[in-house]
Amino acid sequence: MKVLMLGWEYPPHISGGLGTACAGLTAALAEKGVDIHFVVPKVIGDEVTPHMAFTDALGSASDVAKTADNESVKTEVTRLPAFLNPYWNQKQFAAAVASSQVRSSRLSSKIGVPEVDAVSQALEDGEVYGVSPFGDSNECNQTDRHNLARGLFSEVERFTSDILARFSSEDFDLIHAHDWMTFPAAVALSHTTGRPMIAHVHSLEHDRSGLFYDREIDAIERFGLRSATKVVAVSHYTKRSIERNHLISGDRVEVVHNGVYPRQVISDYRQRKTWPQHIVLFLGRVTFQKGPDYFIEVASKVIPHVRDILFVLAGSGDMLPEVQEQARALSIDQHFLFPGFVQGDELEELFSVADLYVMPSVSEPFGIAALEAISFNTPTILSKQSGVSEVIQHALKVDFWDTDRMADLIINSLAHPELRQELIENARLELSKLHWGAAADSMLAVYREVLSAQAREALSGASCY
Amino acid sequence: MPSVCLYFQVHQPYRLRPFSFFEAGRSSNYFDKRLNSEIISRVAKKCYQPTGQSLLRAIRKHPGRFNLSFSISGTAIEQMRAWAPEALDTFRDLAATGQVELLAETYYHSLVSLTEDTAEFHKQVRDHIDLMACEFGITPRVFRNTELIYSDSIATKISELGLQGIFVEGIPEILGARTPHAVYRNYGDTLSLLPRNAELSDLLGFKLRNGGPNNSALKPDDFVRRIKEVAKSDDTIFIALDFETFGEHHQGDVGIVNFIEQAADLLLADSDWSFVTPSQAIASASSRDELSFPTVRSWADEARDITPWRGNEMQKAALKRLYSDEFRSLCDEDLWRYLQTSDHFYYMSNKGGPDGEVHSYFRPYESPYDAFICYMNVLRGASAVSLLQQPRSLA
Repeated sequence: MKVLMLGWEYPPHISGGLGTACAGLTAALAEKGVDIHFVVPKVIGDEVTPHMAFTDALGSASDVAKTADNESVKTEVTRLPAFLNPYWNQKQFAAAVASSQVRSSRLSSKIGVPEVDAVSQALEDGEVYGVSPFGDSNECNQTDRHNLARGLFSEVERFTSDILARFSSEDFDLIHAHDWMTFPAAVALSHTTGRPMIAHVHSLEHDRSGLFYDREIDAIERFGLRSATKVVAVSHYTKRSIERNHLISGDRVEVVHNGVYPRQVISDYRQRKTWPQHIVLFLGRVTFQKGPDYFIEVASKVIPHVRDILFVLAGSGDMLPEVQEQARALSIDQHFLFPGFVQGDELEELFSVADLYVMPSVSEPFGIAALEAISFNTPTILSKQSGVSEVIQHALKVDFWDTDRMADLIINSLAHPELRQELIENARLELSKLHWGAAADSMLAVYREVLSAQAREALSGASCY
Repeated sequence: MPSVCLYFQVHQPYRLRPFSFFEAGRSSNYFDKRLNSEIISRVAKKCYQPTGQSLLRAIRKHPGRFNLSFSISGTAIEQMRAWAPEALDTFRDLAATGQVELLAETYYHSLVSLTEDTAEFHKQVRDHIDLMACEFGITPRVFRNTELIYSDSIATKISELGLQGIFVEGIPEILGARTPHAVYRNYGDTLSLLPRNAELSDLLGFKLRNGGPNNSALKPDDFVRRIKEVAKSDDTIFIALDFETFGEHHQGDVGIVNFIEQAADLLLADSDWSFVTPSQAIASASSRDELSFPTVRSWADEARDITPWRGNEMQKAALKRLYSDEFRSLCDEDLWRYLQTSDHFYYMSNKGGPDGEVHSYFRPYESPYDAFICYMNVLRGASAVSLLQQPRSLA
């Protein structure tokens, strides 16, 4: 079985659950013997992805994995330079353009080394953009910005035509597309090649932006979901949202819960520095969907009752300045740490030292970070408005708006180590069932169903829709 | 002459309302009056009254031959007085027949027998004995500890009260090759032990819907056949279960509420058989072997030990706080006793599997963790030194 997957990587500076989910699912499917050609919009820079290798070939890399039966399975990765982040709306796209150092570049023979080209030449040629936030030049070229200011949808369009150009004649059995930015490309490719398409929903515009949702993005989502042969949702919570917001019938939507990589907690970070006695952690994008403002409000209710406490709000996002100001206005900023976006060792340290991980999401399709917290032996407090609360019973659960109750849960968790102990011992047992292998099995079942339906239709000559 | 000894448990706790951390020291509204009154009214209507009436009919039909026993906790009596007085009348009618024995237990259906505080244990039992005398004019002679929690050392505490016998769980490993259908003596030879037949009792308690042949609903004649299959000539079969089984745990048709009455009619058609009270069983028992319970056992969960209430770290911490000298010195004494009811700890159990399902059926909170947090908030409130301490009201 060969799958063309249009997904997202886990670059160090553009991140979220989506990239982690794609990486985990791809690796697990590869182990089950599925040939995957994995296409990602890539911002050229210093990414590290352990299971996908870089090569010197132009535009493509491939990784040879081994299945459980020791057969060789090829996972090919193509990185298409594109200034896209799956969590952006138009405003955030424009802001990212304005704040980043944009240089146009021609793809060189070696990925990762952008050649600085004459700006006007590159723009006239309609070359793809590469962005290097760690670039040595501080200039942000006006013309570049102007072009990118054509907007997010233009970039998506260009990404779509790139994909069509490259993959229309490639051989694969089905197309698996993750979230809205890949849907136009997937649908177009499906029409061109006649292959079925699976729309995988990790997040909806309604979750990300609530009342102020972008109607164009919403429309593109609906277009993708309606055109897909099958829709996959990361939780029953998300499935219900899909049915409600996009009027998709429930029997067209399968639920495949995300998994998590098992982890060995090796070092004891607590001993290394002087940490306060109690540490409560929020880790995620600092944006509306994640409820960071509720986190601040809850902290203000907890702090008067607990000595020597630190609230860590780790992450970056459009609401960061606002919540920092909120903490100052409530006079609790001295109990807060805002380390910004964290990864690698720093991420590990925060998860390890935290007494509690709080996920006050307003609307969370899944919430992989909660599973990560558990794998670091940190008990969790989860918004009931989240997909992950479907799969973990041994967590404290609360409505995101109920800040009194959330404060009650935090205070009691900090006061009673036996509560934390029971939560984490039992949550870890639950976690052992939530590995990517299980998700890959469910995904394979969906693939088989889609392919056999396709075969039946081909035999009977009936149309797809 | 073979016989059946029936014992029905009647108990309702005062459940706590979702008491918040921020209420501690400000409010003493600990108990969920609305929920508790709703539950007891419902259970009285669906179970206590109709099943009680059915048993009264059986008693009148079979004078002298249909005898049985109840244990009714103090908290159940109080709630019936407040919210279901007709049910209490039914129990009074049953007691007045002379064919119903009432057992003693701790007034608050508590776990105090697990602590070192023997004085408190004795007080709670004496309070219950007084209550039985006051409400029903009957002085209990036989005991059943909360959820049949029993060990050799617990027996010692009971003997000091002048009681003559106690219901215990018929644990197969403890009985070994010995028959469960006989009266035994405890280690120390001060009490008679009445071992509950778990298999037949649980058939009624959990399998009314599918305990019959080919997983069909259990019918009175199936049940009677099973009893006759296992009984030898002089056996007494001890059947003990939650009275709520009839009409509340298992609902629906009238057959369930009348189950025991019909079973009695069938069994007593055979003149060899009779239904006896615990005291009658003790009186007529011939040889009495010793049965030793070195560790604490109970009738709950698959393990039949004390892990349903003191199995995880939360339960242990809550019990430790509740029975600590410090807490006792700060908390109002009556309130302290109502907080001892075993159900509060039962709700905190986070076991999985079939045990977990049973715990979850009874639990009025969303999770065992919520139960623990609620309880600890109440303990915090109950021991808070505050100017706003009001007398707590349960009813």
